[in-house]
Amino acid sequence: MAPMDMSKYLGLFVSEASEHLESLGRELLALEKEKTRERVDAMFRHAHSVKGMASSMGFEAIAVLAHRVEDLVDSVRGDLALLSREVVDALFAATDALSAQVKAASAGEPAPDSTKLLEVLNVHVASLTGNAPAPTPVQDAIVVAPRPAPAKPPAANGDVEATVTGARPEPSPLDKPRYAVRVRIAHTCQVPGVRAFLVHKKLSQLGVVHELKPALEELKAGRIPEGMIALELETPAGEAGIQQAVRNISEVELVTVKPAPPPQAAPPPAPPTPASAANGAAAPDRPREPTEVVGRTVRVKTELLDYFLDAVGELMLATARIREVGKALPAPSRPPLEDAVYRLHALVKDLHDKVMSVRMTPLSVITDRLPRAARDISRRRSREVELTITGAEIELDRAIIDDLADPLLHLLRNAIDHGIEPPDARADAKKPATGRVQVTVRRQRDRVVVEVEDDGRGMDAQKLKEAAVARGQLTADAAARLTDKEAFMLSCLPGVSTATDVSEISGRGVGMDAVKRAVESVGGTLEIESEKGRGTRFTLRLPLTVAVVNLLLVQAGAEIVGLPIGKVLAVLEADHQALSRSRETPLISHGTSLLPVHVLAELLHVPPTPRTGVRPYLVMESDTGKVALAVDRLLGQEEVVLKALSRPLDLVAGLSGVTILGSGRPIFILDVPRLLAA
Amino acid sequence: MAKRVLVVDDAIFMRNMIKDIFASGGFEVVGEAANGLEAVEKYKELKPDLTTMDIVMPFKSGIEATREIIKQDANAVIIMCSALGQESLVMEAIEAGASDFIVKPFRAEDVLAVVKKVLGEA
Repeated sequence: MAPMDMSKYLGLFVSEASEHLESLGRELLALEKEKTRERVDAMFRHAHSVKGMASSMGFEAIAVLAHRVEDLVDSVRGDLALLSREVVDALFAATDALSAQVKAASAGEPAPDSTKLLEVLNVHVASLTGNAPAPTPVQDAIVVAPRPAPAKPPAANGDVEATVTGARPEPSPLDKPRYAVRVRIAHTCQVPGVRAFLVHKKLSQLGVVHELKPALEELKAGRIPEGMIALELETPAGEAGIQQAVRNISEVELVTVKPAPPPQAAPPPAPPTPASAANGAAAPDRPREPTEVVGRTVRVKTELLDYFLDAVGELMLATARIREVGKALPAPSRPPLEDAVYRLHALVKDLHDKVMSVRMTPLSVITDRLPRAARDISRRRSREVELTITGAEIELDRAIIDDLADPLLHLLRNAIDHGIEPPDARADAKKPATGRVQVTVRRQRDRVVVEVEDDGRGMDAQKLKEAAVARGQLTADAAARLTDKEAFMLSCLPGVSTATDVSEISGRGVGMDAVKRAVESVGGTLEIESEKGRGTRFTLRLPLTVAVVNLLLVQAGAEIVGLPIGKVLAVLEADHQALSRSRETPLISHGTSLLPVHVLAELLHVPPTPRTGVRPYLVMESDTGKVALAVDRLLGQEEVVLKALSRPLDLVAGLSGVTILGSGRPIFILDVPRLLAA
Repeated sequence: MAKRVLVVDDAIFMRNMIKDIFASGGFEVVGEAANGLEAVEKYKELKPDLTTMDIVMPFKSGIEATREIIKQDANAVIIMCSALGQESLVMEAIEAGASDFIVKPFRAEDVLAVVKKVLGEA
């Protein structure tokens, strides 16, 4: 038989199997804390599902491994005490291996080898149950990824040979005639015991069964020599009735049915090779549906969500354009148009909100992975760490979630690796032996605040400043002017170097610059608070959505650019000529500090408008502290739909996106810290 | 008139496969359920000619669901979909009233053959 082509199910297999494996991991983690029967049962179900799907897809390695996990979980069901640390570790390892294999399958790559792992699992199963592992049946299937599954015993075909030997009516006072019936289970049947049980049940529905050979217990156990079952059936249904009943049972041939005395050996009719075999394998090709209905929720492809967001964004821009055009109309025509546009805008805004809400995903998508990571890291580093997560049900736009996953993981890793001290150091400091890392998520008006806090060794502002100066990233003057809070941000400068530096100086590992960039790229901010010896807290303030931003439009030379209003800390006015200078850099006073001034037009390499007198200065953050940005004019505020830049513009430092104003003019949106760093 | 089928399995993947198999055989899949609870509800609502029933499912097993459906409708035709190694569960299901069973992984022709027989159309 030709293998079945299962390629079109690959995507669904990968997403479902991954979900099951994730759930399996979660249950395992919970199980480590508290062993309950429900969790073990749930784990069994998940492994079982993965096994079933994988075998249908012809993925033998995955099916076998999942089968082994299933066996292992099954063997501790009866006595949870058997769930030792070794068994749990083995299950974790197996879950990871399965995830890797599923990933490989989705990429069309061969599965990573898991023979060692299988041996470990086999040993555990054998020692717990005394049994050798049963074989795992796998479909002979083909997936676009070349995975020729070895030929396995083909699933039973519906062979039926039936001969019914008539029964001589018994000389008994009973009305119901008695028939001797012999039935054979097709040799291709994989579960003869069950098949036999079914036959028995069906025939019992016709009348009373006598003289069952082999006996029922033997039948159920599958101990059926030659697959032959003999019995006498007392029934009013007649031979025809018995034949009909058996005809409706698959994998079974009625050998003889006759009135009680000796069976006639009638030649079994040729097995009607099912015409259905000619049907061959797969269903007619159907275009892949973009949605699947599951109960009252719907699965939607993420590409579709992205498309929706884009389309709605375009709608908003188009609406703004109409409004602009309307402004140029003669006065009498304006009111009706304005009303219409107002209504249109309201509808589009509503649609936009709905689309955004569909894209909203709870943070738990990321935070669910943290406990496992925390466990692994703390085991590897021999640190005792307790991780608590609160508020993970709070939702953010999908795109933000995607960008946050790695940074959050990184912050966690850092907290455990570098923040929390080894047990003896903690004892010296009179801290509890178990370090605490807390991840808290909460809503604050239009922001989501994520805090990662540890009670570890904290950061040393002074050392950070010194190191930055030594690396030439900061002048001694500038360093002196920094507040502690600003000094902590120095840990996010690229180039925090060797491991020896790391723990001592910054209290954090490398990669903090990537974290800060990721947070800022979604329109958020990162703050660090720390107290040496007490601990550190990272605070991420994130917008709920990425797509719509509030911009401050400014003019620099002939250019108009947009700056995210949230990043503008203050607006000052001063006469440029009258500013004091430090060497060549003009300084402007703001509160109690003096901020370095940068001329935006110069940063953008556009000819500045020559001007005298007072001009606006925008106070903004940079990597090395606050700065003042000199612009020519403030043009106003506008809520716009941010659009990402594509190649090659996305490579230009300092541009974070582009948008189209209501006037139809496209403008760039600036990322000031990047612009200054460039 | 095409026979109407209800497909019950907690994996979307399996349901899709089974649906395709039935479609290829000229059946009409009129509903799906992802667990025993939904299965019983859907059966009530749809009164299909045939139901395929997974055994291991959350909330309510296929066996329980079979039992309840048969209680409602003694003529319900329910085919259990099981994995190897679940013999005793399948037998339980048969006790509870299941009409037949198929073993995973299954091929389209086998499923359709069993279905044809069970519906008396051999």
